[in-house]
Amino acid sequence: MDTLPAITPAPAANSPQSLVLEASHVYKSFGSNHVLMDFNFQLYKGENVVILGKSGSGKSVFIKCVIGLLQPDKGSIVVLEQDITSLRNEALDHLRAKVGFLFQSNALYDSMTVRENLEFPMRRHWLAGQQRNSESLVQEVLENVGLAHTINMMPAELSGGMRKRIALARTLILNPEIILYDEPTTGLDPITAREIGNLMLEMGRKYNTSAVIISHDMNCIKLVADRIVLLYDGKAYANGTYEELRRSQDNIVKQFFE
Amino acid sequence: MTLNKPWADFLDELGGIARFATRFFAQVFRPRYEGAELLRQCFLIGNLSLPLVGLTSFIMGLVLTMQLRPSMVEYGVESQIPAMVAIAVVREIGPVIIALIFAGKIGSSIGAELGSMKVTEQIDAMEVSGTNPFKYLVVTRVLATTLMLPVLVLIGDSIMLFGSFIGVNIYTVTSFPLYISQAMDSLTFQEFLPAILKTFFFGFAVGIIGCYKGFHTSRGTEGVGRAANSAVVVSSVWIFILDLLAVQITDLLGYN
Amino acid sequence: MKQKAWNNIKLGVFVLAGLLLLIAGLYLIGKDTNLFSRNYILRAQFSNVEGLVVGNNVRYSGIQVGTVKEVKFLSDTLIEVRMVVEEDMQSIIRKDDIASVGTDGLMGNKIINIAPGRTGAPLAVENDLLRTEEGNSTEAMLAKLALTNNNLLEISNELKKTVQNINTSRNLWRLLNDESLPASVLESLANIRRATEKAQATVADLQTIVADVKAGKGTVGQLLRDTAMAVSLADAVKGIRQLENRADTLATQLSELVTTLDNDLATGKGPVPAALHDSLMVQKVHSILSRVDTSAARFNENMEAMKHNFLFRGYFKKQEKEKQKQAQAPQQ
Ligand SMILES: Nc1ncnc2c1ncn2[C@@H]1O[C@H](COP(=O)(O)OP(=O)(O)OP(=O)(O)O)[C@@H](O)[C@H]1O
Ligand SMILES: [Mg+2]
Repeated sequence: MDTLPAITPAPAANSPQSLVLEASHVYKSFGSNHVLMDFNFQLYKGENVVILGKSGSGKSVFIKCVIGLLQPDKGSIVVLEQDITSLRNEALDHLRAKVGFLFQSNALYDSMTVRENLEFPMRRHWLAGQQRNSESLVQEVLENVGLAHTINMMPAELSGGMRKRIALARTLILNPEIILYDEPTTGLDPITAREIGNLMLEMGRKYNTSAVIISHDMNCIKLVADRIVLLYDGKAYANGTYEELRRSQDNIVKQFFE
Repeated sequence: MTLNKPWADFLDELGGIARFATRFFAQVFRPRYEGAELLRQCFLIGNLSLPLVGLTSFIMGLVLTMQLRPSMVEYGVESQIPAMVAIAVVREIGPVIIALIFAGKIGSSIGAELGSMKVTEQIDAMEVSGTNPFKYLVVTRVLATTLMLPVLVLIGDSIMLFGSFIGVNIYTVTSFPLYISQAMDSLTFQEFLPAILKTFFFGFAVGIIGCYKGFHTSRGTEGVGRAANSAVVVSSVWIFILDLLAVQITDLLGYN
Repeated sequence: MKQKAWNNIKLGVFVLAGLLLLIAGLYLIGKDTNLFSRNYILRAQFSNVEGLVVGNNVRYSGIQVGTVKEVKFLSDTLIEVRMVVEEDMQSIIRKDDIASVGTDGLMGNKIINIAPGRTGAPLAVENDLLRTEEGNSTEAMLAKLALTNNNLLEISNELKKTVQNINTSRNLWRLLNDESLPASVLESLANIRRATEKAQATVADLQTIVADVKAGKGTVGQLLRDTAMAVSLADAVKGIRQLENRADTLATQLSELVTTLDNDLATGKGPVPAALHDSLMVQKVHSILSRVDTSAARFNENMEAMKHNFLFRGYFKKQEKEKQKQAQAPQQ
């Protein structure tokens, strides 16, 4: 590992920072498919970190471990000062309410209207006070993503980009402290992609949320990334700002920026 | 261990279904209860199956009567048609035929729905939204199939008997009260109650197998089709196996 | 939201329909067991209830009015039957009405029949004891059939004895040989023996059939629920009775003859030695034997018919056809 490029452990800008997510020595394999091997990752408050990596390198697996959908084989993942691997039931639900997750395939509920899709996480997480103004909140979030008119439509009636934006709205509606984006801009036209990127930035600034973003879209990465972690061979291979990695001389890192 | 593959697969699936069912029982009595979703599923599974069940039941009753009639007339026991149809319908044909139709309609739709939810990560999305997907999706559906199939069978049996009544009246004139009293006089509680009881098990089998298949859909959309298809096949086979068990148990208990 | 409430209402209607049908089903099935109507108790005492069990129906002049609630021994010869009877019948059933154990149809379940006593006695009230009458036509008929079987057995035994007598009687054989009776007499004797054996087998068969019939089980028991079968059963019983009488006299005649012959021959006196030269006497023996012969054949036939009567309705048709064939045969 001596070929590693220079790593700046903390972002240059707004420090001193509190750590909201720390994964250390995470191992995860499916049978003989060793996906994560000794993966380390930190996320600070207010920071947008992009995870970059080849398809199938285990990016989605990692953020699923972060939200507790998958259990790592080894290692610890501390989210908002709680070790998610040891949480169960209600405690886990409470933590999950503070962590948003945008699924790669949107995961909108086919059998529900847009409104019900957005209400679902609100109704399910027993968050006091949120229940009462759910109607106006749904309206507001939909307006934020520019799709107020789709409120009574079914997901099947929406285009891919619209679905992505509804999924984003559903992630944002609970006002999470950390948001995990799994490829938020894939399959979108450049204009919409930029809008989504801007939306992500705006949300981050407005509510001081932190975000982990998985993306292959260089425009998006350039726009939102405070820091980039390159996942390669199950490890955090490189770590730095966009400019730092772009100028890296490492062969593997260079492949991603050509 | 040199089990050949079909056997290994079969046992693997059997174990999987058994564990799935255990998980169901572990969760069904523990809060939180998904009451609203249960009602919604009962509506979707029960009410919306009624037209199909009603139509097939009516035709079944009519055809059964018309097919039986010639031999009954030949033996000079034409007047026994209502009794015979009633016994056949209430004890066996009603429960099994309706359960099979139910498996075809509901088993496949549960398998396909949960399967596509699985492959498009909707189940994961539910879980991160503070919902136990097993409770929200599986427990509600299995309870709904278990509770609704007996209701469908009760209604379907009645419609079959009505179809048979029409069938009898094609050839002769029999009043409805006479038909009912002839049909019902031949039945006893020991025949009626086990027949209704077994439909709970049929409903449970359809629900649990449909959900199991959906939940264990392998990635990809063609997996959804496979899940729907095998949900129907496996639950139909299980209906027959349970039927066999039911007749043996009632026999053992002396209710035959 | 509104749609949801509406759906829940529809679900409610659906489940309610199911529940109502369940209740209706239970009611209709249970109405004969009086689960849901108001009743009172009547009693009757019998020496034999012929397999009556709890739950059997009670009929008044053929109308369903209740069920048997309890059957218990009062002493070794007296059985009390308690019946649950619909309350409405309190204004109909009188103390002098006659209860009897019968059968529903020929082979159906046991029932209690209550018939009006017609003596103008006061109305029966709770726990009253009704008059009883034992046995009814079906029961009696089956009893007769069983009796017939026993008789048949006796006859066949007697026939057998006679044949044995004939066989073991040296004197008679000598007589027959000496007097060179036609060879057909010998044949007749052989026939009698065969017929006897066959008769015994058939009687055994018949007995098991009758036992089954009484218990109302097996294919025969099922078939007999049909009224047409009942009629042919009655016919068959009548046939057997006639046959029985004829065979009876024959057997007696035969055995009498044998004993007399034997005695006379042994003592060397009496009319027999003389009679031996009397061609009339020879003829008489001859004709008796031939009558035994035909009778044995008919007996077989009857027994055969009897068997077929229970199991195959087509037997008589078959016989008719054969007869027709025989009638046609000589013409060719
Ligand atoms: N539930 C699972 N069971 C078995 N293997 C899995 C599972 N989830 C992921 N994998 C395997 O883990 C590896 C990483 O998958 P992952 O989905 O994390 O890739 P990714 O980095 O997100 O790729 P992409 O950019 O295409 O989304 C793949 O080889 C995949 O086959
Ligand atoms: Mg992925």
